[in-house]
Amino acid sequence: MTENLHLLLPEFLLAALAVVVLAIDLFLPQERKNLLAWLSVAGLAGILALSLPLLWDRDVSLYGGLVEADRYALLFKAVFLVLGMVVILGSADFVKKRLRSPGEFYAIILFAVLAMSVMASAVELLTAYIALELMSFSFYIMVAYGRNNPKSNEAGVKYILIGAFSSAILLYGVSLLYGVVGVTRYAEIEAALAAALTNSDAVSPTLWIGLGLILVGLGFKIAAVPFHMWAPDTYEGAPLPVTAFLSVGSKVAAFALLLRLFGQAFMPAIDQWQILVAVLAAVTMTLGNVVAISQRNFKRLLAYSSIGHVGFMLLGIAALSAIGAEALILYMVGYAVTSMTVFVGLIAFFNVTGRENVSDLNGLADSHPFIAAAIAIGLFSLAGLPFFAGFTIKFYLFTAAATQGLLWLSGLAMFNSLISLYYYLVVVRHMYVDPLPTEAPGTEIAPDTGPGQPRAKPSILITAVLGALVLGVIFVGVYPFPLLEAIKAAVGSLLPLAS
Amino acid sequence: MIELAHFQIVSGALFAVGMYGVLARRSAVLVLMSIELMLNAVNLNLIASAVFIDPSKFTGLIIAIFVITVAAAEVGLALAIVLRLFRSRATINLDEIELMKW
Repeated sequence: MTENLHLLLPEFLLAALAVVVLAIDLFLPQERKNLLAWLSVAGLAGILALSLPLLWDRDVSLYGGLVEADRYALLFKAVFLVLGMVVILGSADFVKKRLRSPGEFYAIILFAVLAMSVMASAVELLTAYIALELMSFSFYIMVAYGRNNPKSNEAGVKYILIGAFSSAILLYGVSLLYGVVGVTRYAEIEAALAAALTNSDAVSPTLWIGLGLILVGLGFKIAAVPFHMWAPDTYEGAPLPVTAFLSVGSKVAAFALLLRLFGQAFMPAIDQWQILVAVLAAVTMTLGNVVAISQRNFKRLLAYSSIGHVGFMLLGIAALSAIGAEALILYMVGYAVTSMTVFVGLIAFFNVTGRENVSDLNGLADSHPFIAAAIAIGLFSLAGLPFFAGFTIKFYLFTAAATQGLLWLSGLAMFNSLISLYYYLVVVRHMYVDPLPTEAPGTEIAPDTGPGQPRAKPSILITAVLGALVLGVIFVGVYPFPLLEAIKAAVGSLLPLAS
Repeated sequence: MIELAHFQIVSGALFAVGMYGVLARRSAVLVLMSIELMLNAVNLNLIASAVFIDPSKFTGLIIAIFVITVAAAEVGLALAIVLRLFRSRATINLDEIELMKW
C-alpha cells in the first residue's frame, strides 16, 4: 500500500504549488503580482508533464481502496490541469485590472484543480465528498471575489446557501445508504447492491430514499432542473473568469464523480434509476434551452445554455454502458473546449469594453473581428454544427443513447439542439449584422479606453489563448480519434466488466 | 429495545425540521443554522448506523467527524460572505437580495 504513494505526487505537488503561490504573494509588490499567474501556469504544466509518464497505463488502488490511480483518473487529471492553465492565462488581464489580491485568486484556482482531480479518482463516498467540498469551497470564495461589487456578494450568498443545503441533502443520502449496506467503498457498495437485488423483496426502502437523496444532492451541484435556480444568478454575479471556470470545471468534475459513482457503485440498480435520470435529463435540457431564448445578459444566457448541456450530459449517465460512458467523456472534453472558447472570447470583449449584454456585442465583427469570429465558432460548436467539436460530441452521445434504448430522449435532445441554434444565432446576428453603436451618450467607458482611443485591443496573451482554443474546437470536431483512443482506455478501467 | 429504526426516525424528523427552516426562514444566518440542523441529523444517522450495522470498523464515526469539521469550515466561509453582503447592502434578508431575480 505505502510503496505506491508516489502515484499521488501530482496531487501533493498541486497542494504545494497552491501554498507556494500564497506564500510568494505575501512578498511581491502589487504591480508584479502577475508573475504569480505565470508561476501557477508553469507549475501546472510541470505537474502535467510529470503525471503523464508517472501514471501512464496504470490501474492501481491506493490507500486501501480510497482513491484509484487509473487511466480514467489520468485522463481527467490532464483535462483539469490544462483547464486550470487556460483559466489562469485567460483571466490574467481581467484579474490585474479588476480584482484585488490576485495571488490568493490563483491559489484558490489551484486548490479547485486539486479538488477536481481527486473527485475524478475517488472511489469511496467520504473521499469523494471531501473533494467535492474542497471544490465547492473554492468556488464559493471565487464567486464572491468581486468584493465591492454588490452583484458578486449576492451571487456568493445565494451560491453558498444553496451549496451547503445541497451538501446536507447529499450527506443525508450517504448516511441512509451507509445505514443499509454498512460500507462506503464503491466496489463494496456495488457488491452489496447486487446481493440485495437478487432477493428483490428484501430491498429496504431506505436504500432507495438514500440513492434518491444522493442524486438530488448531486443534481444541485451540477445545476440540473429542478435544482438549478442558483445557477443563473451565480453565473451573472460572479466575476467573468470565475463564471467560465464554474460552468466548465465544476460541471466536468461533478460529472467525472457522477460517472464513477453510478458506473462503479450503483450499476447493479441501473433498471431502477435509469428512468429517473432520463426524466431529469429531459426536463433539464428542455427548460435550459427554452429559457435561454429570452435572456439579454450574455452570462445569464450562457448559464441557461450550460443547464441545457447538463441535460445532454445526464443523457450519457442515463445511457450508462461502455459506449455511453465513452460518449459522455468525449462530450465533457468537447464541451469544456467549446465553452471555454466562448467564455475567453467574452472575457477578451469585456476587457476592452466593460460590458456583458448581448446587445453590447453589436458590430463586434467590425471592431474586433477575431474575438467575434472566435465567439461565433464557439457558439456554432455549442449548437452542434459540423466541423466543430459540438457536432462530433453530440453525434456520439445521441447515437450512444439511441443504441441503449433511449431513442425518445435522443430525439428530444436533437430537437433541443435546434432550439439552442436559434438563440446562439441571435448572438451571432448581433455581432455580424447589427451596426456598431455610434458613441452613445452616457455609456461607461472602460478604464483603459480613454475618449481618444475608443477601440482598445485585447492583449496578445488572451488572443493567443483564444486562438489555441479555437484550434482545439476544430481539432476535436474534425479529428477526434486520438482523443477517442484515450477515452476508450479510460472507460476500460472505469467499467472493466462492461467492455 | 431501541433499534436503528428509532434513531433513523429521530434523525429524519431533525432533517425535516432543518429543511423547513431553510425553506421558510428569510434571514441568511437562520438559514445557516437550519443547515446545521440538517447536518446534525446526518451525524446522528451516521453514528447510529456505525454502532448497529458496522460495529467492527466504525466507518460512520469517522465520516461524522469529517462532517463536523467540514460543517465548521462551511459556516466560517458562509458567515464571511454574509458579512460582506451586509456591509454592502445593510441587510441579510434573503427576500431583499434581488439585484438579480432568483
